[in-house]
Amino acid sequence: MDISRRGFLKLTGGTLAATGIGVGVGIHPVFAQPRKLRYAKEVPSICPYCAVGCGVIVHVREGRVINAEGDPDHPISNGSLCSKGSALYQIANNKRRLKKPLYRAPGASTWKQVTWDWALDRIANKVKEARDKGFTHKNAKGQVVNRVENIACLGGASLDNEEVYPLVKFARALGLVYIEHQARI
Amino acid sequence: MAEHMMLIDLTKCTGCRACQVACKEWNSLRAEKTVFNGTYQNPPDLSYDTWTLVRFDEMKSKDRLKKVKWLLRKEGCMHCEDAPCVQACPSPGALVKTPEGAVVHNPKYCIGCKACVVACPFDIPRYSPKDEKIAKCTLCYDRITEGKVPACVEACTTGCLEFGPKEDILARAMARVKEVNGSLYPNNGYKTHVMYIIPDYARIEEYSHLNPDPRVPATELWWKNLFKPLTLIGMGGVAGLAVLHYLIKGPHKVEDKGTEGGDNNA
Repeated sequence: MDISRRGFLKLTGGTLAATGIGVGVGIHPVFAQPRKLRYAKEVPSICPYCAVGCGVIVHVREGRVINAEGDPDHPISNGSLCSKGSALYQIANNKRRLKKPLYRAPGASTWKQVTWDWALDRIANKVKEARDKGFTHKNAKGQVVNRVENIACLGGASLDNEEVYPLVKFARALGLVYIEHQARI
Repeated sequence: MAEHMMLIDLTKCTGCRACQVACKEWNSLRAEKTVFNGTYQNPPDLSYDTWTLVRFDEMKSKDRLKKVKWLLRKEGCMHCEDAPCVQACPSPGALVKTPEGAVVHNPKYCIGCKACVVACPFDIPRYSPKDEKIAKCTLCYDRITEGKVPACVEACTTGCLEFGPKEDILARAMARVKEVNGSLYPNNGYKTHVMYIIPDYARIEEYSHLNPDPRVPATELWWKNLFKPLTLIGMGGVAGLAVLHYLIKGPHKVEDKGTEGGDNNA
């Protein structure tokens, strides 16, 4: 860079003046943060984790969950959520969420990826097989019970109300009596 | 929007840490890998990715049945009225005191000089060498300006956190202090937009990482009231004299004096 003495003086003077004005007047850029929930649709829901049933508002934009927080109008929780409920957003958005069924054969130590068709068929076959083997029509007293005691149904904590309803109906229809929830074990 | 305040009523805190998780979720902060270190407090300290933290301090109780008592405290930015970090910040717009009472950092303008880290009497702003910026609680400025309460207040399960217009919260704080026979923090006249109600069984000194006597650092006052104006006067003087010199003497004439002062073209 070729700067003459005169150019140098001009430049330094200009810089000094500029900084002097800038600091002296104190121009602060207006703080503007992008609105996270802009154009998001609010969907009221229920926290699935425990029996309290706190109200949740799930914010959805373009079919994707972008936020979930307590519903201040909900009569049970008044908008509050515990530390688990506060992390509800992660049920939908999680890198570690399984998207394909995994199968671990009896005695095997590793999981292998299988197709949905294979997994569902296998579950159906096994349920039928076990149910046929363990179905009790009458108990020791001769009363009709129609129950299955060698299959148990285990509900998950992140199933919501609507998912649990058909699950329990299905389990009862099979004649299951051991219906449990993961959070109680 | 009018000036708002947050009240943290420590008599009601159960240490559920919903505020911590809600803060992480709303602000999309990264998770931290931690190890168990003998306390429920996790992560161990505030950081660039943890803007609020429930501190678990154990206090030896005089009551023999309850030998150890927990002192729980939700730590985060106090949003000072005359914030030392804002005064210390050399980059315009990087740290701003908003009319709502929040002290907000803007990563876009942060130059990572850590002046605020040194200036803060509560040790709140945290620097990340990876991002070369600081970060801290913003009082959920993007929520309160839309009529919502901050994420931590909304998530709080016991009503320990309250948020509202300044006058309402101050009145509420005074009433509550009388009710529980506790004390207010800060109580040395230092004005903040976040206040604590300390329970009657605890003293301020017993809480870890809580400055019992917060003030604006003296170096900050010197810089702001003495050195900075002097610098400005100096710079203005130089500019003014330069103009004066130009008016009196006119532009400097460059005279060709041959090879004097070194000859680059030779």
